[in-house]
Amino acid sequence: MFVLRPAELTDLPQIEAIAAKSAIGITSLPPDRDRLIDKITNSRYAFADEVDIPGEESYFFVLENAATGEIVGTSGIAAAAGFHDRFYSYRNEIIVHASQELKVSNKIHALHLCHDLTGFSLLTSFFIDPAFADSDLPQLLSRARLLYVAEQRHRFADKLAAENPGVCDAEGRSPFWNAVGRRFFNMDYPQAEQLSGGRSKTFIAELMPQYPIYVPLLPAAAKLAIGQLHPDGELPFSILMDEGFEADTYVDIFDGGPTVEARVETLRTVRLQRRVTFSARIADLTEAIEAAEAGEAVLSIIANTKSEGFRATIAPAVFGVAAEGSCVKFSRETALLINIDDGDAVRVVALDPESHHLTVASW
Amino acid sequence: MVRSIRRDDLAALMALVGETGVGLTTLPNNEGLLRGRIEASLASFAGTAEKADEQWVFVMEDIAAARLVGICAIAGAVGLREPWYSYRVGTVVHASRELGIFTRTPTLFLSNDHTGASELCSLFLAPDYRVGRNGALLSKSRFMFMAEFSDRFSRKVIAELRGVSDSAGRSPFWESLGRHFFSMDFAEADYLTGIGKKSFVAELMPKHPLYSSFLSKEAQAVIGETHELTRPARRLLEQEGFRYEGHVDIFDAGPALESNLEDIDAIKKSSSQVVQALSVVAEASSAVMLISNARMSDFRVGLGRCIVTSDGVTLDPDVAQALDITVGDAVRLVALRPAERAASGERGARGSRG
Repeated sequence: MFVLRPAELTDLPQIEAIAAKSAIGITSLPPDRDRLIDKITNSRYAFADEVDIPGEESYFFVLENAATGEIVGTSGIAAAAGFHDRFYSYRNEIIVHASQELKVSNKIHALHLCHDLTGFSLLTSFFIDPAFADSDLPQLLSRARLLYVAEQRHRFADKLAAENPGVCDAEGRSPFWNAVGRRFFNMDYPQAEQLSGGRSKTFIAELMPQYPIYVPLLPAAAKLAIGQLHPDGELPFSILMDEGFEADTYVDIFDGGPTVEARVETLRTVRLQRRVTFSARIADLTEAIEAAEAGEAVLSIIANTKSEGFRATIAPAVFGVAAEGSCVKFSRETALLINIDDGDAVRVVALDPESHHLTVASW
Repeated sequence: MVRSIRRDDLAALMALVGETGVGLTTLPNNEGLLRGRIEASLASFAGTAEKADEQWVFVMEDIAAARLVGICAIAGAVGLREPWYSYRVGTVVHASRELGIFTRTPTLFLSNDHTGASELCSLFLAPDYRVGRNGALLSKSRFMFMAEFSDRFSRKVIAELRGVSDSAGRSPFWESLGRHFFSMDFAEADYLTGIGKKSFVAELMPKHPLYSSFLSKEAQAVIGETHELTRPARRLLEQEGFRYEGHVDIFDAGPALESNLEDIDAIKKSSSQVVQALSVVAEASSAVMLISNARMSDFRVGLGRCIVTSDGVTLDPDVAQALDITVGDAVRLVALRPAERAASGERGARGSRG
């Protein structure tokens, strides 16, 4: 059984190991002990704090193998992108240059430096142990965050965004960077990335060209890199795409990778999830498995509704209506894993959205 | 002799323009347009043109051969009918002390800064006449007109010089910039400009500032540079005090030279005199002078020698004949070569203008 929960300082050695493995581009997981300690500490405060409106909180989750204590993945949410400052992106724009007189109409693609995504909540820090890339765990890692957002709406903005790594070669050279950023920085992309992964990306962004970049003036490799995803980013990207994130509008100002965005309530997980009461009356593993075989149980992402004590996992669940209203049943083991008791509320969403029209029994 | 253009110059002008090739934007090889320019010029000389349309076209005539060999013009005020575009070459600095970065990027800002300026334009001299003082006479003749009728002109005077292009008319700047926005050759864009469609073309060009570092190396190298064949013209203007102040043409990045009217050396140092006598002036007694009559509608400028005294000026009879003046008429004088011009006032009465 795997459980997603807030990161603790005791996780540091394992997180450090993950950070060391993670590719260039996952800037929110810096391979630097002090910064990781800060990240975990800030996250603990964030989960514990009473928050009225989204601010500088940054939530950092780890995915743990409950049996072994091994951490196999991370994910996070920053409550407000560019908090206290600005969050920079390039916005894809089409400028129509037209003249009726000359019977010409040209569509010119330009990148416009903008702060549009400032204040959006930002999905960050996605990492999964490659051994589990083909399992259901990436879904848990990415989407359980959305159950947390659904429960804790006041902690987050109405809109979410997520940066995705852009293309670069084996040495980390980004064609987009070489054609744009390098002209102003005179340094390599990884070097600039490293500088920006720390205290403030804004700091770097302010050195980027402030005027729009006319795409036709860029070399072919840089043009192709605009909105192009690094192969390492395909898995988390595809999950976000399935959720309904939009990828056409914004790109990263450094490597041209797609920055996706969406309104919280339009996301599939948020739309399909239900907040229901856990019923322990007939909940045990045997019965859930029998129900699954009978086609009633649905493999689901199940999260409790706590903040500091947030837990989420994947397990078969059966829905029903009882005297107390909508209920869900799942195994006692699952209940223990996500730390809930009979009568507690949980948020549940089917792992496979096709099965969201759950059979509802009458109890 | 340089004189104001006449209606019957059209055929000779067409023949001359056929020799210009690509790049002389304001002289399109198009009879209708040339006729239009002549008419606009005649209206300007007659004082009936509107400010926005005023233009004065002059032709250089080889009197002995009775041949039209050059043309030049002044536009009274550009950009009053349609927007006048140029790129201002500015600088954007990206700096961070902390990162040890200091990058200075030349940046092109689309501007209408020259709106309302008077423009020297359409200078062309037949190749076989590009000898001796002909080029200087043709170019500088306009300053005599501007000095005489200075109230017709704006304080700011500009001259756009042809930018760099190869023998096939390919402009590296256009290839790197304009072509992306407007799929046509420079020659075609230039022609459209000449026939009065420059603002249409300009409206298809990028409106946002452009970091020049995004252009090809060849394009960056020609910003503010003058076409090889136009360099003598540039030198003549620079001698008179014109300077490149960072404005370039939006198509070929050729420089716009600028000066205030009163700072143009030939204007500043010219003087208005009355013809006192006509007699042959010895070569040693005078520098070669630009000499013009004071008539707007039959303006004439020639080169000659003269002697100035407190009573007036003595001119060669040949010059007087060419300028169609006689004793008692007003003339304007200035030495052709700036080095031979006396400091202002030395020639005595600078006279009132016109």
